[in-house]
Amino acid sequence: MASDTVRDKLKELIITELNLEGKTPDDIEDGAPLFGEGLGLDSLDALQLAMVIEENFGVQIPEGDEARPIFASVDTLVAYIEKESA
Amino acid sequence: MRIWVTGIGMVSPLGRDANSTFAALTAGTRAFGPVTLFDPTGCRSSVAAEVPDFAVSEVAPAEVAEGWSRTDAMSVLAAREALAQAKLDPAVDPVDLIFGGTTAGMLETEGLLADMHQAVAARRPLARMLSHPLSATADRLRDSVAPFRRVRTLCSACSSGANALLLAAAWLRTGRSERVLAGGGDGLCRLTYTGFSCLGALATEACRPFDRDRAGLSMGEGAALLVVETEAAARARGVEPIVELRGWAVGAEAHHITNPEASGATAARVMGAALARGGLAPADIDYVNAHGTATRLNDQMEAQALAQCLGDRVGKVAVSSSKGQLGHTLGAAGAIEAAITALTVAEGVIPPNMGLVEPDPDLALDLVRVARQTRVRAAMSNSFGFGGSDVVLVFAAPDRFAEPGPVEPRPVFVTATGSVGALGVGGTALARSYVDPAGPAATSAVELDAAAHLDLARARRVDRVGRFCAVAMGEAMDAAGAAPAEPQLERFGAILGTAFGSVDDCSAFIHRVFAKGAKFASPVVFPSLLPSSPVAHASIYHGLKGPVFAPADLAATSESALVTAIELIAADEADAMLAGGVEQTSPITEAVLGPLCSNPGEAVGAGIRSEGSSVVLVESEASLTARAGKPVARVIWWTSWRGAPAAPLAGAPPPAELGTAAVFATRDDPVLEALLAGSSWADVPRHTTTRRAGTHEGAGGFAVAAAVSVLAAGELDAALVVGLAPDRGYALLLGAGSEVSTVSPS
Repeated sequence: MASDTVRDKLKELIITELNLEGKTPDDIEDGAPLFGEGLGLDSLDALQLAMVIEENFGVQIPEGDEARPIFASVDTLVAYIEKESA
Repeated sequence: MRIWVTGIGMVSPLGRDANSTFAALTAGTRAFGPVTLFDPTGCRSSVAAEVPDFAVSEVAPAEVAEGWSRTDAMSVLAAREALAQAKLDPAVDPVDLIFGGTTAGMLETEGLLADMHQAVAARRPLARMLSHPLSATADRLRDSVAPFRRVRTLCSACSSGANALLLAAAWLRTGRSERVLAGGGDGLCRLTYTGFSCLGALATEACRPFDRDRAGLSMGEGAALLVVETEAAARARGVEPIVELRGWAVGAEAHHITNPEASGATAARVMGAALARGGLAPADIDYVNAHGTATRLNDQMEAQALAQCLGDRVGKVAVSSSKGQLGHTLGAAGAIEAAITALTVAEGVIPPNMGLVEPDPDLALDLVRVARQTRVRAAMSNSFGFGGSDVVLVFAAPDRFAEPGPVEPRPVFVTATGSVGALGVGGTALARSYVDPAGPAATSAVELDAAAHLDLARARRVDRVGRFCAVAMGEAMDAAGAAPAEPQLERFGAILGTAFGSVDDCSAFIHRVFAKGAKFASPVVFPSLLPSSPVAHASIYHGLKGPVFAPADLAATSESALVTAIELIAADEADAMLAGGVEQTSPITEAVLGPLCSNPGEAVGAGIRSEGSSVVLVESEASLTARAGKPVARVIWWTSWRGAPAAPLAGAPPPAELGTAAVFATRDDPVLEALLAGSSWADVPRHTTTRRAGTHEGAGGFAVAAAVSVLAAGELDAALVVGLAPDRGYALLLGAGSEVSTVSPS
């Protein structure tokens, strides 16, 4: 899957699965932190994202501390998905 | 006035009765093994504490067994044990029943629900769905154990069983009841097992509460019921106490739907309030039976809260969690652990905290490693539920502490209503239109423009039914003229129920688990599937920190909520409560549960099925004074009943004494006619809501709201609201204005 396709699909999943009503993919900055400030996502959202990423991309995200850098931003998530599905 | 525990019944993974369970607990037995009730493939764990070799058929009469759940069967055994120990025959000495739970017959109906997600017509053995409603277990108890007089069912997730005991205490303390059988039960099921798994909350192996390397909870199942009665009532029967139920308190964290408040501030506040209710100080407590789920967050929060509540006594008070032996029994946990705490005081043996290898060095607690024989003067049991519903109970040795003073029931006032329904969104003024015979009839679905009423960024996790609640609650607070503020919020709560929970969402969740595998269960959906989820979401949204829970009583659920809220305020357990019900359009309710749980010919569904939420704001005088609020009505009298008592309305003052009066109900039918015919209220005008509000299980809330609205408009002096469902009823008499009169339930 091409990088832009993964990115677009991921942003769409973030909006629909985490119910970010009124947000568009353009509102989600590629390099901005996903959790805490910004979109206001938390650990429950991370669990949902990990589940739908596995469902949609066939990529399993590790749990615990290893997951932190992967969930840092859309950029880091896209990079991880591409690396694991290569 | 002292409250005595005179009977304890328990079915747990450690034993079929209270004594064998307690003996196994103190011996350090752990009850975990492979899950056998369903296939846990795809979950993070495959162990649980099941009640071994237990079958519904051992307890349920063969001819109706298909409609019984494991939850029902375990609860019936526990109830019989408790009544037998208390030497109580409810046919001779009236006993009321309060039951707490979360999933009722979920295990038995999961397969059907998964099918129904694809086609409601796929329903096969309908009788099995009889076990699905949360209120079903109390019905089984009434059918199979004893003719309990008054019956209430509630859910506050994992503190449900403890909340049942709290409400029982409120009833006893205000003289509403002399004797209550109260507790909870929950059978293990896929929905909760898979749900906790997808939240990352399940430990792979048997759980290890308070351990440095604890890695989550283990699920269990069971039931416990306790007979609690006033000392006078027990003495009159010549019965001795096991222990005293000494203190109790409830509060909400208003923090997060799954995560506990890290500071432990609310849990500490509730513990302190429970001690204060019992006239006790931290120095009087010798043991704490912790909630201790063994998740990282819970145990840390609980240790923090204990440190705040106990001060320099923390580290000296023995603490153990029973969940390392019998697992997390969810809705039953608060009752099972209350029973264990009571037995600890009675027996003078503190059960250990099993699973502990290396205590977490961050948690400075005196964790019990092997059972201790010691005098226990008083002990505390903590229960914390999803959505942050915290309940603390305190048990004490009989006569060890001074007798608490008596309490007069406090007057209760109505200040506003709020609703989302067929006539849109509005406050007190709108609600009278629901009994206005002019105007168009209700249509089916209610359109809610959530963005117009809620901050969607904060409400993004609140599902549609939760949004109905949040908007109705907001409208009522607006109409009351003041949003609640600190410190009033700590005694400001909400009781909103649904008859059948979010059954269609449960169906979709389980269908997905069956179709895609347990590892694709949705973590953000699961916390919205419990009966208490809508009110929990809405209360978090509004920041309410008082009692928060959901009643369930079929088509009288809203009335049940309102009466319960009034009882809590009268008993000084809360100062302000938003109370009512919510229902959303549901193919499964419409096609299956609604008809199944109605009497033939009087089915909810006889009119246009609609949806919505309607709440009433009820307050104490203290609350009104604090915020300079003005009531629109006062509560004069109320009652609730089961079965067919001779004259349920006999205690209501006659309308002639009150002025211009009317009866409000969802519909005028032969049941209402027969009820009123035997009372002084037979000939006053009747107003009904079905035409304009449509019909659904929560529609009674619209009848209450309409009554309040008409009283507020000055058009009546008094309104009698009647809510009916098969074999049960509620009645509430409201008077115009704010004149204080003595609260006199019957």
